[in-house]
Amino acid sequence: MMMKDNGIRHLYVHVPFCRTICFYCDFCRTLYREQSASQWLDALEKELFLKDIRVPQETVYIGGGTPTCLVPEQLERLLGMLDGYCGDGCEYTIEVNPETLTEEKADILARHGINRASIGYQTSDPRMLALMNRHHTAGDVRHTMELLRSRGITNLSLDIMYSLPGQTMEDLQESVKDALDMRPSHLSLYSLTIEEHTVFAKRGYQPCDEELEADMYEWIVRTLESAGYEQYEISNFARSGMYSRHNTAYWEYRNFHGISMGASGKASGFRYDNTKDLKEYLLDPLKRETIPLSERDEMFEMVMMGLRMKRGMSLKRFEECFGRSFVSVYEKQLEKLIAQNMLVVTDGTVRCTPEGLEILNTVLEEFLD
Amino acid sequence: MDQKYIRNFCIIAHIDHGKSTLADRILEMTDTVQQRDMKNQLLDDMELERERGITIKLNAVQLSYHSKDGHDYLFNLIDTPGHVDFSYEVSRSLAACEGAVLVVDATQGVQAQTLANTYLALDNNLEILPVINKIDMNNAQPDFVKHEIENIIGLDCSEAPMISARTGMNVDQVLEQIVRSIPAPGGDPSAPLQALVFDSFYDPYRGVIALVRIREGSLSVGDKIRFMATGAEYEVLEAGIRNPREVPLRTLGCGDVGWFAASIKSIQDVMVGDTVTSAARPAAEPLEGYRRMNPMVYCGLYPSDAQKYGDLRDALDKLKLNDASLVYEPETSQALGFGFRCGFLGLLHMDVIQERLEREYNLDLIATAPSVIYHCYLSDGTMIAVDNPAKMPDFSKIDHLEEPYVKADIMVPDTYIGAVMDLCQNKRGIYQSMEVIDTGRNMITYELPLSEIIFDFFDRLKSCSKGYASLDYEIIGYRKEDLVRMDILLNGEPVDALSVIVHRGDAYRRGSQITVRLKELIPKQQFEIPVQAAVGGKVIARTNIKSLRKNVLAKCYGGDISRKKKLLEKQKEGKKRMKAVGSVVIPQEAFMAVLSVNDDEG
Repeated sequence: MMMKDNGIRHLYVHVPFCRTICFYCDFCRTLYREQSASQWLDALEKELFLKDIRVPQETVYIGGGTPTCLVPEQLERLLGMLDGYCGDGCEYTIEVNPETLTEEKADILARHGINRASIGYQTSDPRMLALMNRHHTAGDVRHTMELLRSRGITNLSLDIMYSLPGQTMEDLQESVKDALDMRPSHLSLYSLTIEEHTVFAKRGYQPCDEELEADMYEWIVRTLESAGYEQYEISNFARSGMYSRHNTAYWEYRNFHGISMGASGKASGFRYDNTKDLKEYLLDPLKRETIPLSERDEMFEMVMMGLRMKRGMSLKRFEECFGRSFVSVYEKQLEKLIAQNMLVVTDGTVRCTPEGLEILNTVLEEFLD
Repeated sequence: MDQKYIRNFCIIAHIDHGKSTLADRILEMTDTVQQRDMKNQLLDDMELERERGITIKLNAVQLSYHSKDGHDYLFNLIDTPGHVDFSYEVSRSLAACEGAVLVVDATQGVQAQTLANTYLALDNNLEILPVINKIDMNNAQPDFVKHEIENIIGLDCSEAPMISARTGMNVDQVLEQIVRSIPAPGGDPSAPLQALVFDSFYDPYRGVIALVRIREGSLSVGDKIRFMATGAEYEVLEAGIRNPREVPLRTLGCGDVGWFAASIKSIQDVMVGDTVTSAARPAAEPLEGYRRMNPMVYCGLYPSDAQKYGDLRDALDKLKLNDASLVYEPETSQALGFGFRCGFLGLLHMDVIQERLEREYNLDLIATAPSVIYHCYLSDGTMIAVDNPAKMPDFSKIDHLEEPYVKADIMVPDTYIGAVMDLCQNKRGIYQSMEVIDTGRNMITYELPLSEIIFDFFDRLKSCSKGYASLDYEIIGYRKEDLVRMDILLNGEPVDALSVIVHRGDAYRRGSQITVRLKELIPKQQFEIPVQAAVGGKVIARTNIKSLRKNVLAKCYGGDISRKKKLLEKQKEGKKRMKAVGSVVIPQEAFMAVLSVNDDEG
């Protein structure tokens, strides 16, 4: 039986252009050229036209790449294509790079109803920023936040990276404290993974030692919690319930549209990866590879994503989607993991204990066939 | 066909001198294989052989050749492996031939295995036809190499074809020489049947298929035959040759090389080296078999999944048919459960068997570190042979231990003499002699403990001589040494499969290396694990594996489901090759850890 989900209410759009390439980045990205970006917008228009996307969407997320590297007219055009999908109360997020956001572009974002921005802060340490080939300062981030806030875009999230090559605990602490001074409503903290094919991998860089990384993680959780940020997901922290609704849809394993080259999407019974090749995308904006999912796959993936959240996975949602109770499907695993104090089942959810959350990979392995 | 138009020959060479390439060309030039079916290394049909670019199994094929003398000839070509580990295969193929084409690389000259294989061929009274290969290479020195063959081996090279097997240049001369120089098979077609079984394999539909060389008489479909060693009798249901596809024939005549099937379900009935004769009119004597090779390296093989023990037994039984040098018997390990102690001719052989078991029989295996056979003399004067360190008797009962030694002949150019001698010295080698065999080339002879040679000696020899040194060795007997058993304890429990026998003087150094290596290899678990090395109950080295604190995929942006899942699947797949020993999960590589630290700088 296929997973049931009524309509798709979440839309991700990938902007594959950047002004410079960060040395750790393994996402689909290419250097910005005005002409290619225009052709890309033509293809995107065609893709949206050809796809059946229902209105209104509950969340729309523009990520990249670097969406704000588009010149103002192109940014205007992009948002113009997407505004129509947002209904009342839609969470409308865009990723913002502190190097490329100008007053003019901030005006455009505000005019089009963007109500949330995720800003690439990474670290306040100029040495580390240079190592990553990022060309901004902590001051640029502060300035970007002012530009957005003064235009009414106040739901601001900062992306922070840790476990960087050569980073010490003190470096990280300083970087996080600088970020907290900027009073974001939301923080995402990602530990560096060295991906194949990145400059970091080619240069043989290593992330921090595992022990130090674990210390960093624990310090982050403690510090942010005491600063009034709730850890609602492994890497995500929010003040007064300002969760990312778009990302929450991923963690609740909802279906979502993946639009533009390099994006991935999820529908009932399959996932898909859109082509990562600009030429191919321009010729055929619907070109993608689909990955069929069995019911067993979908069950596992719902658990894999759901357990990342502090509040856990809803047992009711699992049963609604698959017509069987979570407990009956994973009886053996549950028994073992509850006995090991890794999982608890309460209030209609299954969730990790603090111990289980730290070694989630080991917990999830039990659920893999 | 009349016997006098048959030629049975094999191709012998040092590894990588172009044996399989020459076989490819011969197949092409005799139109045995259609152009469209042609591919490189045609006779190496095992997946593993093609991947590694080496020949592991002998392979026999029949070709027809129209000679310049106007007659048609039948060639039976047997391709053979070049690595010292597989010399058993070589000696089997030699026994089925009258001649051998000796391929020598014009850029490298005579190497240790060139010599070893030539001597094997001479032992079998084969006519040897030297061929100089790769003369199209820039650095080829054909005249020098000719001179070397004449000097070192004593073979006349005045008529040796100078060829390029790659381009096919002068390969026709090789074919003509086979006709002219290699004798036709002897034997009396009307005598009672004597057929030498030189290989066999198992076919799920037809039972055991035996590859035979008919020495006397003939063999036809419908004949009742008898295996002389085992006495088993069968009726021949099918017979034929390979070209390299199977071609069924009614009769295999005197001098032929072919195969037959007789619905043989009992694997034990067919022994490679046995003689097949007629049940109705048996020969008086079996043919002479060949030198049986004794395994030199032993290791334990265990299924990762204990349920697969029966499957592993089945797979070993079937593989044994195809590889008579493999020996095994059941053993039990506290740590690993039920498995087999298996004997191999060398490390490459061990590696190949393990990989074939995993691929061809779809098994996940745990292999323990290889060990040689130690002779253990007890206080009461009795001797027991120990092929598994865990089985070593209590030291209070042991009078002394002996370990096998080899005489190693290493052929090496002047430049690398120092490096090679250093290596031998570090491996407890005893210098014997050094001979200048030709301008700039030397034969160094050392006596070395086999245990030092089987591990990484080949690799280190290659690296310290930039690939120019080559090695041949033979066992020369046992010697008394001051050896001790070192136990490895995980979480306080000795793990029998990790025990090793080491030199007493080396124990402390090896103990530290092994515990450090295990710390690197064993993944962190939910509790701290002490790793200890102990000799005679006394701990001599220790490390700790810290407990697992964190392993979440903290990276990966929200929607990247497939990347997250792939990472988890990879993690899970890795665990498949791990074994739970008590409360500790140990990866396959850990059992080999005792090996990889067996170097001097570590």
